[in-house]
Amino acid sequence: MLLKRICWVFALVIAASASLIAGPTKEAGKELFVANCASCHNKNMKDDLTGPALAGTEERWSAYPRKDLYAWIRNSQALIGTGHPRANELWAKWKPTLMNNFPSLTDEQIESLLLYIKEPGGAPVQKDPAATTAATEEEGLPWMYIGLAGILFLLAFALMRIVDNLANVSRAKDGLAPVNRTAYEMLTTKGAIAFLVFATILIFGYKAVDNATKMGREQGYKPDQPINFSHKIHAGINKIDCQYCHDTARRSKHSGIPGANTCMNCHSAVKKGTISGTEEITKIYASIGFDPISGKYMENYENWTDKQIEEMYKKWIGQQYMSDNSLTALDENGKSVVESQWEGIVKALKNDSNGKIQGPIEWVRIHNLPDHAYFNHAQHVAIGQVACQ
Amino acid sequence: MHHDNGIWVGTEDLMRDEAFAQSSQSEFSVENIDQTDGKWTASRRDFLKLMGFGLGAATIAASCEIPVKKAIPYVTKPDEIVPGVANYFASSFVDGGDYCAILVKTREGRPIKIEGNTLSNVTMGGTSARAQASVLSLYDTRRIQNAGKVKEGQVEKMEWAAIDREVKAKLAEGGNVRIITNTLISPTAMKALGEFRTKYPNTTVVSYDPVSASALLEANEKCFGHRAFPHYKFDEASVICSFGADFLGTWGNPVKNATLYAKGRKVAGKKGAKMSRHYQVEGYMSLTGSNADNRIQIRPSEMGAAIASLYGELSGNGGGPKLNDKAAGAIKKMAKDLQAARGKSIVVSGSNNVAEQILVNRINDLLGNLNNTVDFGAQYFGRSGDERQVGKLIEEMNGGQVSMVIVWGANPSWDLPNSAAFNTAFAKVGTRVSLNTNMDETTLLCTHAAPAHHYLESWGDALPQVGQLSLIQPTIAPLFATRQAEHSLLVWADSAALKADSEQPYYEYVKENWQNNLGAGQSKYLTKDAFWEMSLHDGVYAIPVQPITAVFDTTVSVDVNAVSKPSSSEVEVSFYETVNIGGGQYAHNPWLQEMPDPVTRTVWGNYLSIPLEWDGVNNIDGWKGLVDGDEVEVEVNGQKFTCAVVRNFGQAAGTVSIALGGGRTAGGCGVGYGVNVNPCLKQDNGLTQYYAADVVVKPTGGKDKDFACVQHHHTMGVKAMGKEEGKVINADEKTLGYKGFQGSLTDRSIIFQTNIKDLQKLENKLEAFHHEAEHLNSQTLYPDNVEYFGTGLKWGMYVDLNSCIGCGACQVACVSENNVPVVGKKEVARHHEMTWLRIDRYFYGDLENPKVVYQPMMCQHCDNAPCENVCPVNATNHSMEGLNQMAYNRCIGTRYCANNCPYKVRRFNWLDYTTADLWPSNEERVFHVEGEDKPYYADNLVRMVLNPDVTVRTRGVIEKCSFCVQRIQEGKLTAKREGRAIMDNDVRTACQTACPTGAIVFGDLNNPNSEVSQANKAAGALAYKVLEEINVRPGVQYSAKIHNANEELFS
Repeated sequence: MLLKRICWVFALVIAASASLIAGPTKEAGKELFVANCASCHNKNMKDDLTGPALAGTEERWSAYPRKDLYAWIRNSQALIGTGHPRANELWAKWKPTLMNNFPSLTDEQIESLLLYIKEPGGAPVQKDPAATTAATEEEGLPWMYIGLAGILFLLAFALMRIVDNLANVSRAKDGLAPVNRTAYEMLTTKGAIAFLVFATILIFGYKAVDNATKMGREQGYKPDQPINFSHKIHAGINKIDCQYCHDTARRSKHSGIPGANTCMNCHSAVKKGTISGTEEITKIYASIGFDPISGKYMENYENWTDKQIEEMYKKWIGQQYMSDNSLTALDENGKSVVESQWEGIVKALKNDSNGKIQGPIEWVRIHNLPDHAYFNHAQHVAIGQVACQ
Repeated sequence: MHHDNGIWVGTEDLMRDEAFAQSSQSEFSVENIDQTDGKWTASRRDFLKLMGFGLGAATIAASCEIPVKKAIPYVTKPDEIVPGVANYFASSFVDGGDYCAILVKTREGRPIKIEGNTLSNVTMGGTSARAQASVLSLYDTRRIQNAGKVKEGQVEKMEWAAIDREVKAKLAEGGNVRIITNTLISPTAMKALGEFRTKYPNTTVVSYDPVSASALLEANEKCFGHRAFPHYKFDEASVICSFGADFLGTWGNPVKNATLYAKGRKVAGKKGAKMSRHYQVEGYMSLTGSNADNRIQIRPSEMGAAIASLYGELSGNGGGPKLNDKAAGAIKKMAKDLQAARGKSIVVSGSNNVAEQILVNRINDLLGNLNNTVDFGAQYFGRSGDERQVGKLIEEMNGGQVSMVIVWGANPSWDLPNSAAFNTAFAKVGTRVSLNTNMDETTLLCTHAAPAHHYLESWGDALPQVGQLSLIQPTIAPLFATRQAEHSLLVWADSAALKADSEQPYYEYVKENWQNNLGAGQSKYLTKDAFWEMSLHDGVYAIPVQPITAVFDTTVSVDVNAVSKPSSSEVEVSFYETVNIGGGQYAHNPWLQEMPDPVTRTVWGNYLSIPLEWDGVNNIDGWKGLVDGDEVEVEVNGQKFTCAVVRNFGQAAGTVSIALGGGRTAGGCGVGYGVNVNPCLKQDNGLTQYYAADVVVKPTGGKDKDFACVQHHHTMGVKAMGKEEGKVINADEKTLGYKGFQGSLTDRSIIFQTNIKDLQKLENKLEAFHHEAEHLNSQTLYPDNVEYFGTGLKWGMYVDLNSCIGCGACQVACVSENNVPVVGKKEVARHHEMTWLRIDRYFYGDLENPKVVYQPMMCQHCDNAPCENVCPVNATNHSMEGLNQMAYNRCIGTRYCANNCPYKVRRFNWLDYTTADLWPSNEERVFHVEGEDKPYYADNLVRMVLNPDVTVRTRGVIEKCSFCVQRIQEGKLTAKREGRAIMDNDVRTACQTACPTGAIVFGDLNNPNSEVSQANKAAGALAYKVLEEINVRPGVQYSAKIHNANEELFS
């Protein structure tokens, strides 16, 4: 028994390590790219950003040994120093922008990166040979089980026969006629049927539960939020400290959702988004009652009618549209932009119960800490000094 | 009759009742499991159908979209509110004459817990069960939600402006106006009433209390010129004598009384240890009487005779009605004790007879207690109503002289002895306005309802004691369209001082009054604003007061013959106020209804306590052969009612007793529980008498099948008479099949008690016991786990049985803190109560007149816990800090742990009591308020009281005391954030903070300087662990009960 268990553990360890040394993968490359390269190199690989577009890197370096490319990625300045022609060619073009050094990247990680750079999109990844063999092995398993089941079945059948024969021997002793059951009779005994039913329920039950848990219905849950808020822009690109907005994280177990007044600390100045323009930020204003034209908070805003609110924000959206497009009056497109943005505000902010636009922004909750879990942000942030970003 | 260890739980235990011993072996009652009653009459087919449906439904539900939940932040986040962090606001709990200075714990703007305010000189940080439970009444689904006209039991909604117009128009007609209140202790409300009276000079305020103390007030006014309770220095008294005054539970200022009383009862230092001696002269066993060292049993009608005989002994002027010989002899000896403690004794009386109270005053004067232990310099105004005024009011109403009555907080249609007469007269009043919060019996008879805020939504103040100002501040915005009562009165009075346009008019009014009148002479703060802000912060402000030297007015006639006359009737009854539902004003609070009465241990209703009869040899029976739950018909003063009986030790022979407050007919969840005994009360000379003679009790032969008394639930160490053995055995152990194992444990170490003079003996005994237990416990094959708990934190508790008075504040605090569900009477009858902390009541001493010891019993957090090693799924396990933890989501409900727990402190969720489940399959059986479709906890309003830091348990899991692990976690975090070691103040359990007497101490056992280690050390050998000998190594230590009985009293 113990031996068996050791064998199992051993087998599992081998399987696990096999997956670890499975070679460069596109997934790993993507992770590495996002972590290390994406801040300077464009994700679409086609356009230049701080650094050059990376598409076709391998082709451009194909004239040189692979290790030169590795050396370039790890420490570009060192390679330039050696007078490498390709390196100096690049330096001449991109000077004085320095590329960061990544001395810790392994060859395999670089291969992963190159794999990702080659095919950043959804193009099928070529299956590497190791994965294929694993799959075949996996496919081989059920056959083994089926074979085993067959042998056991035959064994059971043979045993039943033996039992019958033994019974007949004893019956003969008592002077009774022997009873010979057919295979059909043997298979339809109470015990056999019960076993069959039990096995079926077990297998189906197991499969049902197993698949149900794998369904993962809530993974990637991404409901429409009232404001198309991007953590990436705020915390990622603009590097705003997490705790600037989620200020209760250091004091409370909850990280807290910032009130509109926290948004206004910046957005009283940043009135338009680089991507969304007036569309999203105006919703904050409509929640709290800030007039972006005059730069003032409206008195008695809670009691304003929808008409008043509409007037104020339509004016602002229209004004911005005209200045963006250097117009003096709204064109047809402008009118529809104003209209649709206003509708967006109403949809995002109109409260179901009191019918008011003013008031809190009602986010759709996407987190759900189970009742039995105790997690305290303050403990991690304030005492553990764990960085969130 | 001899008893092992001299401790017993009740008759069944005492008589080795076989059926009871057997029933106590099973964890839960099987008697009340009624197969057909519990909706499950389904056949196998139905089961299959249901299962199929269930599976199908689950599949459909599982494939549905995830329900959208909103996360709504503030628009402008207030600085002081941090989601997830509690805020505390100082306020005051005031309900009629009940007062308690409190801190209100709020989470995200919801009040969820009441704590005591240690800055108060009136309640000194203590709380009462009533104050603890008051937060639940804020979320009462039966509160009136808007103003309007009362029609057919409903409020027909009106705008406040409209109701104001109507009321003002009526007032303008100029008839007589009467305002009916209970005790009013708010100085600013008085000012508002003053304004009202100035505007409408025909106004009179009629104040009375559901349970009256008028005679005492009148006597004090006559004798000393002060219409108030004096301050009784129970801590300084060495002999305390109470003639039926329940001063620890309901009389005077019970919270302060208890705090001071316990100080005088703590046995500090064993050599020459001293403690006060407490005599209680009474007929039924009150909470205070149960704590007494000596009880002198009398019939209630003999109270006057008893007081007169003490007065006779002390003054030499005998006479007065004759007392029974036994009591008279005892009083003679008590008088000697009192005389020996001249100036250091206290005599109090709960009688509502002026002549008797004058005698008591004279006794205190004769004993030199006046101005020593009885101090009029710190008068208490908690109960200042006068029911004589009500009699006058009824006459006026009958005569058609009253055109408007405003009822403010009082419920005269129900709680007056002559409420029938009141109701008839009340109907003759043209306009009847109710300011009450619920649709109670009086509001039903009113024409208009102008509902007031709950006190947690109100501004206000209180002056419970001379110079001790106290503020009430709102801790939540009004939940409904209600309005502050004082605000309403001021609006109707067209007050110029009320800034009606401001956001919170009454706030401005209170502030103005505090700054310019009440605090005008203050010099503690430089500015008025600072005075206001700081008072608001502290909740209380003490104005220095001049000491008063009271002098007994010798012109007052002290007449021993004016006292009440003993009756010669066969049976007498006493009516008493309980600590939980009071005179009925708290009957609509489920926490208080489900808190067992400390003495009878019954819940949900009032029962007739009957005496026990002992044949002097070996049989003890209920009076008339009745047993608990038998129904009787009682006839008192021409009124009849039917109720169940409960046998009670300490109930004097020839007497019965029943609590007031049962049988409410309108207004909330108390409707339908118990019987209303108010009509049985008689008035003597205009004052209500809380006893009656000529009582006829007839058994009906019926039984209350839901009779709910928790005394015999979750027992431990119950003894039985073994049939084969022919001797006393341990009933719990019989099932084990072992006999004589570890001494058979018939002498289980649950309670140790002794007279203080034998303290040394008990100490020696306990030392030997500890030694023996240690020896037994060390005989184990398993390694000792001490090394695991020797470092870091190790949580432990110390419970001083000498300080515990059994008031139940801790129990309600625990319910409030830990989301312990209310299960209802029926479930309690089936042993399904969920309380994590129970207060066990044990009797000891004389069979006919026993003493009582209360033992708060909660999870003992054993280091060698029997529950932990039987759990098949590791749902209960031990933390590194010595906590016995529950992982609810692991629990599969085998209940092995509950079965294996020697203390019987684990509770199983038989039903989905808090309606936490997705499927309301058992909704019908969980607790409902009478007439509501939804279960009690299904209402979101009620759920607002839940503590968000504590998991709401679902059906099928075990739960138990966690040592308030959420508070421990919070305390540890605070200490960590401040970068220091944890201190006692960081972690205090809910029961500990609620306790007015400091009986419960909690802390780190590994820290030799922690309060709990110090307490353990000070108690020395007197500290013991319950069932120390069975090697479960509990984390809770108790100290032995020491009493100071006068053992020669009856010899």
